[in-house]
Amino acid sequence: MDRSIVHGATPMPVAAGIGLRAPHVQRIMRERPPIAWLETHSENLFAAGGALHTAMESIRAEYPLSLHGVGLSLVSADALDGAHLARLLALVDRYQPALVSEHLCWGALDGRHSNDLLPLPFTEEAVTLAASRIGQVQDALGRDILVENISTYLRFDQGDYTEWEFVAEVVRRSGCGLLCDVNNIYVNSVNHGFDPHLYLRALPRAAVREIHLAGFTRKDNLEVPLLIDSHSRRVDAAVWDLYAEAIALFGPVPTLIEWDEDIPELEVLLAEAARAEEVLDARRAHAA
Amino acid sequence: MPVAPTLLETQRSFLTALYDDNEAGPIDAIVGKGLEPAARLQIYRRSCNAIQTGALRASFPAVLALVGEDFFEQTAHGYRHAHPSNSGNLQGFGAHLAEYLASLPALADYQYVPDVAGLEWQRQLTALARHSATASPDAVARSSAGAGQSLAISLHPSVHLLASRHPVLTLWRYAMQPSPEPLRLDGAGENVVLWRADGEVAMATLDAASFACIESLAQGRPPGVAHTAALAADAEFDLAACLKSFAQCGLIIAPQDPATPH
Repeated sequence: MDRSIVHGATPMPVAAGIGLRAPHVQRIMRERPPIAWLETHSENLFAAGGALHTAMESIRAEYPLSLHGVGLSLVSADALDGAHLARLLALVDRYQPALVSEHLCWGALDGRHSNDLLPLPFTEEAVTLAASRIGQVQDALGRDILVENISTYLRFDQGDYTEWEFVAEVVRRSGCGLLCDVNNIYVNSVNHGFDPHLYLRALPRAAVREIHLAGFTRKDNLEVPLLIDSHSRRVDAAVWDLYAEAIALFGPVPTLIEWDEDIPELEVLLAEAARAEEVLDARRAHAA
Repeated sequence: MPVAPTLLETQRSFLTALYDDNEAGPIDAIVGKGLEPAARLQIYRRSCNAIQTGALRASFPAVLALVGEDFFEQTAHGYRHAHPSNSGNLQGFGAHLAEYLASLPALADYQYVPDVAGLEWQRQLTALARHSATASPDAVARSSAGAGQSLAISLHPSVHLLASRHPVLTLWRYAMQPSPEPLRLDGAGENVVLWRADGEVAMATLDAASFACIESLAQGRPPGVAHTAALAADAEFDLAACLKSFAQCGLIIAPQDPATPH
């Protein structure tokens, strides 16, 4: 049984949505522009009240919602933060989002947080721990979650898996869904020198329930090419190509345009979403 | 053959290095691939600093304006070490900044800066407080009249208070919207009440008696006790007028009022 669909107050359409960010909240509340769906960072709703809660209460009936966590630190070697998980549960109960996602990474240890998404060694130990933690979260929430592959700027020399094998194995063992961040695959392929097409083809297709697209920045003046997953630009042409390939492989999947720095006018985000929609439509036309 | 570090060892070494520039971190376990492992780790060190400092910049814009970019960056760096982030939710990260600023010798002659930080933290708490319906001025008048003086009057969850021996609200407004005219201060402190109005944080200064009254109410005291506290500051204090003014601003909830929607 797909628990993520059972629990969604409004089912997630197979269409392109955008991240709900502070500069656009008032306008979306006022004008109700046609947007297929919205995603917000779970932690931004952890406080008891505030403007974002007001917006969520106002728009939740109109827009399918996804809650995307950035701070749970799913694969920390010590323990899950029970208070954080309890707040997430309260949030999921309150808004009944169509999708709930977290990152396949860690960010805290011994009660001290980096507030960043940190890389894991691709070891058997990390696979086992990740699968166990995802199970713990899914049990607590009473529904499936999706986990997202992260962008990284270093990798560890110890490892039993390639990155794509690691992601696939965690998803297989835990039974969770996969939030495939196509931009992160491209960024990592440049930063670590692998074939992004190989990565895409290795993912468990049926588990992919959401895709993320975002823009990166190029780090200059280094001896090697390095891309930073800055979420501050339009989606790069190479990532659009990879996205088209992903949709060809996985079939149409709900797709999100992420933009977190130097956030532009809403129209820019909607134009990026429309471009993703064209890719989804083309795949549907091809399948018909 | 060396034993591979456990995940716990790797993560502990990594996180320690993010907070301490002098800690090398797990560089022996990092693949360089054209860059020094230390340079790759440094990307994360800078990112962690930027994310947490960014949270402080967003919460303390007036402090930033008062002390300037360089001092703020240095201060944020020191604050991260003194009070490491203890949550995956950064909304609470600045809770100790005012106290930290007050401990800095460089600000010994600028003690209004920690108070401005305190005000900005209260603004954050006000902005994120839970929602609640407010009481009508008539309902509050009934609650505070006669025998009602023994009933509790509950303040709206967004109401926060700050008493400062500095003109803290005047300074905050000046920092956020500098005027070409030099700021003239008479040296008097300001008692500030913060609340949420139409979704925005509102602030106002209160006279000593009104502040004593709302402080008492905030402690859960009944109107009669708040009245006594206010009279100690001003023998002419008018409780009914004060409560009416609070209610008109939406500072009071009155769950005992059947007319109040819940």
